[in-house]
Amino acid sequence: MSATRYLRPTHLEEALAALGTHPWTVLAGGTDFYPGRVGKPVDVDVLDVTRIADLRGIQVAGGAVRIGATTTWSELITARLPNVCAGLKAAAREVGGVQIQNAGTVAGNLCNASPAADGVPALLALGAEVELHSGSGARRVNLGEFVLGSRRTARRPDELVVAVHLTPWPEGAKGVFLKLGHRRYLVISVVMVAACVALDAAGRIARCAVAVGACSAVAQRLSGLEARVVGMRPDEAIAGITNADLTCLTPIDDVRGSAAYRRDAALTLVRQAIEQAATP
Amino acid sequence: MTTESISLTVNGQPRRMDIDPRTLLVQLIRDHLGLTGTHVGCDTAQCGACTVHVDGRAVKSCSILALQADGTEVTTIEGLATGDELHPMQQAFRDCHGLQCGYCTPGMVMSAIELLKHNPQPSEQQIREGLEGNICRCTGYQNIVKAVQQAAGA
Ligand SMILES: Cc1cc2nc3c(=O)[nH]c(=O)nc-3n(C[C@H](O)[C@H](O)[C@H](O)COP(=O)(O)OP(=O)(O)OC[C@H]3O[C@@H](n4cnc5c(N)ncnc54)[C@H](O)[C@@H]3O)c2cc1C
Ligand code: FES
Ligand code: FES
Repeated sequence: MSATRYLRPTHLEEALAALGTHPWTVLAGGTDFYPGRVGKPVDVDVLDVTRIADLRGIQVAGGAVRIGATTTWSELITARLPNVCAGLKAAAREVGGVQIQNAGTVAGNLCNASPAADGVPALLALGAEVELHSGSGARRVNLGEFVLGSRRTARRPDELVVAVHLTPWPEGAKGVFLKLGHRRYLVISVVMVAACVALDAAGRIARCAVAVGACSAVAQRLSGLEARVVGMRPDEAIAGITNADLTCLTPIDDVRGSAAYRRDAALTLVRQAIEQAATP
Repeated sequence: MTTESISLTVNGQPRRMDIDPRTLLVQLIRDHLGLTGTHVGCDTAQCGACTVHVDGRAVKSCSILALQADGTEVTTIEGLATGDELHPMQQAFRDCHGLQCGYCTPGMVMSAIELLKHNPQPSEQQIREGLEGNICRCTGYQNIVKAVQQAAGA
């Protein structure tokens, strides 16, 4: 195809109308789009969504957070967010280097749906919902139901991700993000763990969310573990975490490590993440 | 070939032209404007040699379309010096021998300037982390870190 078209709408309606009638490839920061093409010229029609004002920026209202789709990782790092989002910020700092954080967007990370995307476990632990719009309406999907597999999402071709929503956590809840890779930068991670913990007045776990990335095609919440530790003191909860809590993970053997190594690393990081998230 | 018109400011000079929509920002800078100080060192957005500032933020010009920079102010390595006087960061790289072959240097300098803008007194660790999006095959980074330290002290 030679006649590549480029469209850069400033209003959401324009973008949705375009998507309803033609197979445009959505482009935000381009940090997955271009490297994925490895030197091949752009041969698709490009819909650049970075100038749509409704898609940009972060709003916080009473603990609920709306992250516009084209919010960059740099914008997220400098935003004032509830403490429970500290893990999300830590994940943002892991996304490439500064240049990538300046251009790469939150929705781009989710839509690209890499098994090693840093944003996915961090947002899964926060219970994020993805807001999608099309010419025929809007819907919200839990992030866990949005990312379907490696490079596969529930987005229909006529839909655009407009925002990511975080529901409030109790005040004082804390979030952490831990990542194990062979180098800190530019490598696919071996294991990523995000945890959010809220304690009650007696210092017992009132609410807990844990997500593990890079150990299955799609990052997984450990819902069994999350439910089991409610009401426990953090130290007893951590002592009781075993491989049985990780049965939903399906790590692979590859050059970066064996499945057994990944499972062991995940177990250690889950314990550490809960411990850190439960330490005020 | 369809073309789109673009107007932007490059190193303080307003530019207006018609380009193929597929043109990358780095191609516009190097091939259309002849500003070859911005280098291309990879095709996977990893090396950082192509780093320029778009509206004051460091980005990899190999991984955005030129049209995405429509209406912005772009600064390349050529836009840093004032006449014969080098930018303090350029001077520091020269003084500290922060380069060998020089291939990575334009990108390193652009990233280092962004680093000091947000953190004027970085620790050594923060300098190393702030430059993690730039790869150097020659120096072993030691003198690059020293150069940034000198520029921060200047
Ligand atoms: C050198 C380098 C290092 C990197 N390191 C990391 C890392 O450590 N961790 C990590 O997680 N990622 C990393 N990445 C990947 C990438 O930077 C991130 O995934 C980033 O968040 C992608 O956002 P983007 O806006 O650039 O996406 P784009 O490349 O613009 O788009 C990515 C995909 O999402 C779709 N899309 C984008 N926005 C929307 C929308 N609003 N609605 C519908 N579809 C949309 C696009 O069509 C495309 O398929 C790295 C990339 C590079 C080049
Ligand atoms: S040329 Fe290597 S990052 Fe742009
Ligand atoms: S000086 Fe040669 S690559 Fe850095």
